[in-house]
Amino acid sequence: MLEHDVLIVGAGLAGMRAAIAARDAGANAAIISKVHPVRSHSNAAQGGINAALTDRGDNWEDHAYDTIKGSDFLGDQDAVEVMCRAAGQSLIDMEHMGVTFNRDDEGKLGTRAFGGQRVARTFFVGDFTGQALLHVMFEQLVKSGVQSYEEWFVTSLIMEDGKISGVTALEIRTGQLHAIRAKTVILCTGGCGRLFEPSTNALIVTGDGMALAYNVGARLMDMEMVQYHPTTISGSGVLLSEAARGEGAYLRDKNGNRFMEKYAPNMMELASRDVVSRAEQTEINAGNGIDGCVHLDCTHLGEKFIMEKLPQIRELGIDLTGKDMIREPVPIRPGMHYIMGGIKTDVDGQTNIPGIYAAGECANVSVHGGNRLGANSLLDTIVFGERSGSHAADASRGVSFSNFNEDEVVSREKKRLQEILDRPDNGDRWSRIRREMGDSMNRNVAVFRTKEGIEETIEELQGLKQRYGSVPVHNKGKVFNTDLIFALELGFMIDCAEAIAISALERKESRGAQFRLDYPNRDDDNWLKHIVVTQGELGPELSELPVTITKWTPEERKY
Amino acid sequence: MDVTVKIKRYDPESNNSGYVWQEYPIAIDENATVLDALIQIREDDDGTLSLRCSCRSAICGSCAMKINGQGGLACKTKASESMDKDGVILVEPAGNMDTVKDLVADFDMFWNKIREIEPYLQPEGVVPEGEYVVSNESMLHLSAVTACILCGACVSDCTVLEVDKTFLGPAALAKAYRFTADPRDGDEDGVSRDRLKVLGQPSGMWDCTRCNICVQVCPKGVAPMDRIMAMHDQAIEAGYGNNNGARHADAFIESVGHTGRLDELRLPVKTVGITNIPALLGFAPVGWRAMTHGKLPPLIHKSVEDVQIVRNLYRKLEQ
Amino acid sequence: MKYAFYPGCVSQGGAPELYPSAKLICDRLGIELDEIHAWTCCGAGVMQEKNQLFSDTLNARNLAKAEQQGLTIMTICSTCQGVIAQANRRLLADPDYLAEINGYLAEEGLEYKGTAEIKHLLWILIEDYGLDNLLPHVTRSLGGLRLAPFYGCYIVRPTEALGIEEHPERQTSLETLIEILGATAVDFEGKTKCCGFPILTINEKNSMAMVGNHTSEAKDLGADAMVTPCPLCHLNLDGFQPKAAKQANRSIDLPILHLPQLIGLAMGISPAELGLKKHIINTAPLELKLASSTSS
Repeated sequence: MLEHDVLIVGAGLAGMRAAIAARDAGANAAIISKVHPVRSHSNAAQGGINAALTDRGDNWEDHAYDTIKGSDFLGDQDAVEVMCRAAGQSLIDMEHMGVTFNRDDEGKLGTRAFGGQRVARTFFVGDFTGQALLHVMFEQLVKSGVQSYEEWFVTSLIMEDGKISGVTALEIRTGQLHAIRAKTVILCTGGCGRLFEPSTNALIVTGDGMALAYNVGARLMDMEMVQYHPTTISGSGVLLSEAARGEGAYLRDKNGNRFMEKYAPNMMELASRDVVSRAEQTEINAGNGIDGCVHLDCTHLGEKFIMEKLPQIRELGIDLTGKDMIREPVPIRPGMHYIMGGIKTDVDGQTNIPGIYAAGECANVSVHGGNRLGANSLLDTIVFGERSGSHAADASRGVSFSNFNEDEVVSREKKRLQEILDRPDNGDRWSRIRREMGDSMNRNVAVFRTKEGIEETIEELQGLKQRYGSVPVHNKGKVFNTDLIFALELGFMIDCAEAIAISALERKESRGAQFRLDYPNRDDDNWLKHIVVTQGELGPELSELPVTITKWTPEERKY
Repeated sequence: MDVTVKIKRYDPESNNSGYVWQEYPIAIDENATVLDALIQIREDDDGTLSLRCSCRSAICGSCAMKINGQGGLACKTKASESMDKDGVILVEPAGNMDTVKDLVADFDMFWNKIREIEPYLQPEGVVPEGEYVVSNESMLHLSAVTACILCGACVSDCTVLEVDKTFLGPAALAKAYRFTADPRDGDEDGVSRDRLKVLGQPSGMWDCTRCNICVQVCPKGVAPMDRIMAMHDQAIEAGYGNNNGARHADAFIESVGHTGRLDELRLPVKTVGITNIPALLGFAPVGWRAMTHGKLPPLIHKSVEDVQIVRNLYRKLEQ
Repeated sequence: MKYAFYPGCVSQGGAPELYPSAKLICDRLGIELDEIHAWTCCGAGVMQEKNQLFSDTLNARNLAKAEQQGLTIMTICSTCQGVIAQANRRLLADPDYLAEINGYLAEEGLEYKGTAEIKHLLWILIEDYGLDNLLPHVTRSLGGLRLAPFYGCYIVRPTEALGIEEHPERQTSLETLIEILGATAVDFEGKTKCCGFPILTINEKNSMAMVGNHTSEAKDLGADAMVTPCPLCHLNLDGFQPKAAKQANRSIDLPILHLPQLIGLAMGISPAELGLKKHIINTAPLELKLASSTSS
């Protein structure tokens, strides 16, 4: 019988940090992941991690204010305070673990400028900070000896009397289905980018945890807040880091003009991402783009500089666009990148479901509110991963394992999966439905939204949901049956897509990443609040939660 | 663009125990990568095809496989550059490892070797309150090695692993170098003595055959072989030169430094150690055969004409 | 055609059949060889590992001398080719490094200006001499002979140091030559893998396994002999083949030919003149087959 005090689902930065923290707090912790930990999507983060170090004359309150302003005042200020206060120590902890951060001339940690920050407080490793952090976290996981279920896919959460009791999981290598008993479960499953097409996200980012939690009654909050990153590669959607702009790159239109002057005269290319994405899209829509893109110009930075600070994105530019940024501008355009929304938690990662926690991108505390600043996500995962792990470990002390019948649970789940496998072959493939969903979301729930557009997508999603019920699985085998897994992931994605679309329709204002052409202004009187989606009898139900304000009065956001 | 992707398939649950080559003729974009082609096949044509892939941008390391016989990342390999004259691209799972199914290789051996080298920072001194103060050069130097995404392309093609699965292998050794070269790992001078000692044992750093394949196939420029060579230096410097590999290099450079040419007769003797009677006796059959075929290198080793210049350079640059 | 000849240590040491056979066929083909005066060992990758500065300095002297001769360097060993080409690449990539080394060369009045070209005999025959010009010299048909090409790591990797991007045909040069000489090239997986020579005295078991694998594979595919442009590979594949066969618990008996020996045979030169008698693996079966094939 597999059982653990704390079971962490997802082995990205948040998951591994939580697992180590839970173990350090004395719990029997285990981590389960559908891919090997180092394959997690945290490794795609490029730019850096924010922290205010007091020995440099920086202070956490400035960082907090920048974050809250970046969030367009939708961020819960108590949560932001927690994150920004903890940032300095978290950063040093990572360095002590072995991260090879960039250094200044005195050998101390070096910084770069980043979007929405008035002071350079982004610490980095070249332009592959996420990969650097993820690998070090994996090293620490190995050191800690935490048990790891690698390439196990969680198919459902097991609930007893309204609280979490464990998970059912498919061992991908063998096709065997298991039940794992757990006193607490921390969901660290990341975002849901694959329900948009294109997206910077990896193929594994399918909203598993969000949907799993939603389906047992957890609250999803601010789902309409979807970040479109300003510099993604056309076609594949792959990311070119904000670090380029942080190190001085310019954005130019077809005539070579730095158009950001019109939209953010002070911060220019380093305004918050939603502002820059909207600026780019406006210029492209007005005919000032080049094949649906604008230009990222690094040619003035010099070869040596680019090779030291931006080597990875230079390679990506060459591999995927054929352009070498040392010599020529690279075409980019806004692309879906991150979701600020997610499973509502408190500052310790607790959700409204007893025993279920969430941390990382799948969670929404909320520290990012309506728009996340670059380099705050890596920070978010580490701070709240640690807090969730510790808290869950403590919470699990007073709890005993639930008594569910393992064989019954497993055979029920097996039956459900077998029914999916036994479907007739004539339905639409999962890939076709995903692409239709992705196109629809990218068309109507992207940078600029309208009531008609969102409603069209909601209707299309209803149709896709119907067709989903007959998606066939062509692989009937047990070993490494990815066709089955993709069908299950599609279900998770549709649930998330629905939550996103109805939240976007509900919020009749523009704030942060949500821009409604029919409601182009921010409306604090009516809409300074979080929109919440929960699963009801007849479908998703909307409710709201207040925004916690501590020190900073909401004001107009100008860059 | 029309291509035919020829994939080496293996299904452990099927009746035939071996692998089967399956051809997929498809139409793809001019700029498509081999991974784009595989994903297209998986999504539209054949949902039974199993492969690992995720990020599509050479950072997650999932899609390492053999393309046209050479290890690499499918997402970083252009389809147009991989086709033969008939438009065929050969795709197989990574080498040196068992196959789980189709293009999914069994990476247990890979992860075990990584774990074996204790892949986490082990500083011995006092941990500072703030960050360790280290030079940017040292961190940039490590960046090239930390660029490793643990994809396994090097392990797939390593010629030593092909004959000896106990060899630590290029990925684990490069990872070990990431620590031995980190000024924060090891003693106060940053010398990771314990690691270097262990890594110098059989199946460790000295077993690399210097074939350069890992350097050639690595998609991230990690150059594992070069790191292994650098570790040799570190090991000798830390006092762990009591092995054939270290003696071989010493004897070689001494011979050339003194005469300008390699004394092939004395080199193996000095490598195994002049007092190592069993090893010297082991040379006897080969030596005898060489002698009877007139292939024994001359007993009297001649120096080059301007050997004095060579000796001066040797004195200046080596000793 | 004249070249600054760089024979390398082993061609007169452990593989003494190579030097005379190389000189012999060049002479017959009208290729003049002007041996680099007092050339020093290239380092074989081993010296580079121990002290790159010293070994690059020694190679810079070789390159500077060839530059003075005003001739392209001809190598007859894959390892020498690769090692010297890599050293040259390092010198050309970093002007400060080159200047430092030229500082050491100045004492004997040498200076490396960076213009040397280094080419293996294999490439010279295809690129400079021309296969059309080689054909008239092929007086003995090798038809019916199946030959397995074994390149040797240093002449195929790393590609940047070996001009492979500009000359992709170098990667199949051995097969090209085999075919033009009238024989059939055997395609086998081991042809660009390692022969195991570098670890011979470090891990003999692995070294023998490599020899055993590659020669067995070629033999089982019907090869009459293996051809290699590297005498270090030859030392292992030929000299240690009996040991490798013993370890693999099977018979192999695959003769290994040096590149100039193959060309010499096709030119009608006798096996004895080419030093085949010195080989450890008996070449008599090969010679028999050769004699029975029709001459053109």
